[in-house]
Amino acid sequence: MRVETCRWTPGTGWRTERSSGARRADLVIYFGSHQALRCGARFAELQAAWPGARLIGGSATATILGGDLDEQSVVAVAVSFAQTRTAVAQWDCVTHADSRACGAAVGRRLAAPDLAGVFVLADGRSVNGNSLTAGLNDVLAGACPVTGGMTSSPSDQPTALAGAGAPPAPGVVAAVGFYGSAIRLSSGRACGWDSFGPRRRITRATGNVLFELDDKPAAELYERYLGDEIEEDSAAGVIFPLLMSPPDQPEHAMVRAVLTMDRDSGAMTFAHDVPAGWMARLMRGNVDRLAMAAADAARQVRDGLPDRIAGDRLSLMVSCAGRFRLMGQRTVDEIAYARGELGPDAACLGFYAFGEIAPAGGSGLAELHNQTMTVAGLAETEC
Amino acid sequence: MLNPVHRLLAHQLSRATRTDGEIDLPGLLAMVDLAYAEADRDRQRTDRAALVMCEEMEQLNADLHKMAHHDALTGLPNRAYFCEVLMRQLALAQRDGSPIAVFCIDFDRFKNVNDTLGHQAGDLLLRQAADRMRAAVRSCDTIGRIGGDEFLLLQTAVSQPQLAAQLAERLLERLAEPFDLDGHQAFIGASIGIALSPLDGSQVDELIKHADIALYRAKTSGRRQFCFFKHGMGVRLRERRTMEQAIAHAIADKAFSLAFQPVFGGDHYRDVAGFEALLRWPHPGQAATPPDQFIPIAEETGLILPLGTWVLESACREAVSWPAPWRIAVNVSPRQLGSSDFATQVADILRRTGLAPERLEIEITETVLIQDADVATQVLRRLKQLGVRLALDDFGTGYSSLSYLQRFPFDKVKIDKSFVQSLTDNASARAIVGAILAMCRQLGLEVTAEGIETGDQLAQLHSQACDQIQGYLLGRPIAWQELGDFVARQVAGRVAALEPG
Repeated sequence: MRVETCRWTPGTGWRTERSSGARRADLVIYFGSHQALRCGARFAELQAAWPGARLIGGSATATILGGDLDEQSVVAVAVSFAQTRTAVAQWDCVTHADSRACGAAVGRRLAAPDLAGVFVLADGRSVNGNSLTAGLNDVLAGACPVTGGMTSSPSDQPTALAGAGAPPAPGVVAAVGFYGSAIRLSSGRACGWDSFGPRRRITRATGNVLFELDDKPAAELYERYLGDEIEEDSAAGVIFPLLMSPPDQPEHAMVRAVLTMDRDSGAMTFAHDVPAGWMARLMRGNVDRLAMAAADAARQVRDGLPDRIAGDRLSLMVSCAGRFRLMGQRTVDEIAYARGELGPDAACLGFYAFGEIAPAGGSGLAELHNQTMTVAGLAETEC
Repeated sequence: MLNPVHRLLAHQLSRATRTDGEIDLPGLLAMVDLAYAEADRDRQRTDRAALVMCEEMEQLNADLHKMAHHDALTGLPNRAYFCEVLMRQLALAQRDGSPIAVFCIDFDRFKNVNDTLGHQAGDLLLRQAADRMRAAVRSCDTIGRIGGDEFLLLQTAVSQPQLAAQLAERLLERLAEPFDLDGHQAFIGASIGIALSPLDGSQVDELIKHADIALYRAKTSGRRQFCFFKHGMGVRLRERRTMEQAIAHAIADKAFSLAFQPVFGGDHYRDVAGFEALLRWPHPGQAATPPDQFIPIAEETGLILPLGTWVLESACREAVSWPAPWRIAVNVSPRQLGSSDFATQVADILRRTGLAPERLEIEITETVLIQDADVATQVLRRLKQLGVRLALDDFGTGYSSLSYLQRFPFDKVKIDKSFVQSLTDNASARAIVGAILAMCRQLGLEVTAEGIETGDQLAQLHSQACDQIQGYLLGRPIAWQELGDFVARQVAGRVAALEPG
C-alpha cells in the first residue's frame, strides 16, 4: 500500500506534502472546509489528478494533515493498494427519519464475505448518527470494523457535505468498503473528559433535546456552570458534555456534546440522542488530559496493526468539533500526541466531526461517540 | 518531543510564516495573545465549575437533611423531626412552666378517597389538608405528618385547655369543608385526640401515646370530634384492641358458629315459615361472648366484611337442605351494604350454594339507610333484581321514617320486640303495632313481630292479624348441630313442643 498526501489552500491551490512515487491511486479520501468543497471544483481537481480512483470525502470545521490543523484548506490522501479491492456506496437525501434504513442499505451494498472494514461519512447536520450506526449494525452485525464520522460545517450552514464517487453534497451518507485478506483496519478511541458533580437522572428528553435533569430545567444548571460565557455564545454548553449511561449499566457510558441551548424554553439540543430515564453527569475537559487521550487512541491503533506490513500505513483521525472548540490553539497538542504514538512514518489525515464512529470494545458493533478522538489505522500485510 | 508551550509556539510560527518565508510578526503576536486568553478562560472555567459544584453539593446536603426530617409529600416535619421539636419544647416548658398540647389528628374517610379517586387524588388531598392546618395554627406551633393520613400537632403556651379545644374545633371545621380534587369534591372530616403536658405526661412518647388513645376514643364515640386524654382510657383501649385481635383470630380459626331461630306463620302460627340466622361466638368450657360486645367492634374495624360473608354463605348452605318454601333471614351490617360489590357477592353465594334467591331474606336496619342512602339504594335494587327478599329490621325503634318504606323495595317489616313486650299493658304500644300492621297491609308488606314471650302477646298479635311471629314462646334459637333433628321433626309433621320462655 502506498499513500500520497496533498493540501489545497485558498492562496496557493494544491501542493503535494508527501509523495509515494506511485503513479496511480485506487482510493482518494479528502476533507475540507465547507466553503472550499461546496462548489465541486476540488472534487473535480482530485478526480482529474487520479482518474481511476474512487473518491470519498466531506466537509469539516477543521482538517488534520500530518501534524497540522487548518480551518480553510482541503486535505487529501491518495491510496494505491497492492492487493486490496474497494467499493464505494452513496445514499442521497437522507433525513433523520430514514437514517436507520439508509445505514442498513449501505451495509447491504457493501456486504461481502471478504469485507474487511468500512469507513463511513455522513452529513452531520441532516443525518441521525445513532440511527445510521444502528442500521449498519442491523446488516453487518459487527463482522468487520466500521469507523468514520459525521461531517461538520460552520454554524451558519444548515447542512454539512459528504460524497462517495460524486461531488460532496448535503444529506449524503457515503461509505467505502475494503475487501480481501491483505488489508488490516484497526481502530482506537479515547475521550479524556472527567465526569464530576452529582449523578443526575434524565427526567425529560425527546430525541436529542434535553429538557430536565432531576425534574429541574437542564438549561438552568448549565447557566450556573457557564456564568457569563452563556451571554456570549448560545453553544457555550459544549464545554460541559454529558456522560450518560443506562440506569443499570454504568459501564455502557457515552459522551454527548451540547449543540445549542434555548434559555427561554429551557431546552438543550445535543449532538445525538439523550434517552429519558438514563443517568447523567456533567463532564469537564482539561486540555492536557484531552490531548493525552488522543495518544491513548493512537496507541490502540498501533497495537492493532501487524508489525510486518507491506508499504505505508495510513491513520485516519476523526476527532470532535467540541474538543477543537475547548482546546482552541492547543488542539495541535492532541494531533501531536497521537502522531507521537503512530510514528513519524505514518501518514495522518483527519477532520473535526459532529460525531465519531468507532467499533464498541466487546461486540465490535459500530457506535456513535461525541467529544472523542477516534483513530482508524489502515495497512496491507506482507504475503 | 516538544513540550506543549514549544509545540504551540512552533505551530503559531508555522502559521504566521508566509509563503515567501517572511514571518508575519503582528499575526504571530495576535496568536500568542489568543493563546494566553484561551489559557485564562480555561482556568476561569475550571474555577467556576469547582465553585458551582461545591454550591450544588451543599444544596444536595441541605436537601438530604430536609428529606431526612420532612415528609416529601406535604413538606411538613416527619415523625423523627416532630419528636425532636417536641422534646425541645418539653424541656423549655419544664423550665418556664408553660403547658403544651399534643394533638393526634386522623382523617375519617381518607381511605374512601384513595379507593375511589386513586392515590394521586389522595396525595392532593393530603397536601391541601396540610395547607389548611398550617393556615389554622400559629407560626410557633408545629405540625408533622407521621404517615398515611395521621398528623401530629404541637401547640405551645396552652395556658388553659380551652385554648387547645378552640384550636381543635377550628381544625375540625377547616377539615370538614369540601376538598376540590381536580374537579371532584371530597368530604372527609377528621378526629382529634389531645394530650396536655404536664398533666398527661412530660415525655415525648408518653404524650404522643396518650394523644393517640384520646384520638381512638374520639373516633369510637362518633367521628368529627375531638377528645382530651383521660387516665383510664388506656385500659379500655387495650381491652378493645384485645377484642379486635381475638375476633381476627376467631375468623381465622373458624371459631364462630350459627344458631337458627324459627319464624312461624300460617293458621295460629303453627307452620314454620323459615329461620333467622344468628351469629354466635362460643368458647369451650366458658360463656359465649355476647354479639353486642363483638359485632360493633367487628363493624368498626371492617372485620365484619369477612365475618358477614362467612355468615351469609354458611346460612345459605344450611337452608338449601330445608323444605321449600322455608326461608333463611340473614342480618347485614352497614359496612357490608356500603360495599358496592355486595350484590355480586350475594349472587356468587347463591350460585355456589344453589339456594333459590326468593328463599333468602336480607335483614337491614334503618341505620344503614341513614348513613349512605345513595349506595344503599343501588345495592338494594340490585339485590331485588336478583330475586332476594328484603326486610326492614327493628322497625319502630329508630327514625321509623315512613318514607323508607316507599323509597326502598322492602318485602317485609319486622316490628321491634320493645313494642311487643309492652303490648299487653301499654295502650300506646298496642296502637303503634296496630298502625304498623294496618300501614303494611296497605303497602302490601309482610310483617313479623319479634320477641314473643307470652301467650297474651301471641293472642294480641293474632287478633291484629300479624303475619308471622318470632320469639322464645314458640322457638328459641337452635344450634346448628341440633337443627337437623328439628327440621326432621317438622317435616314428619310432628310439631315441636312449644316451650314457654
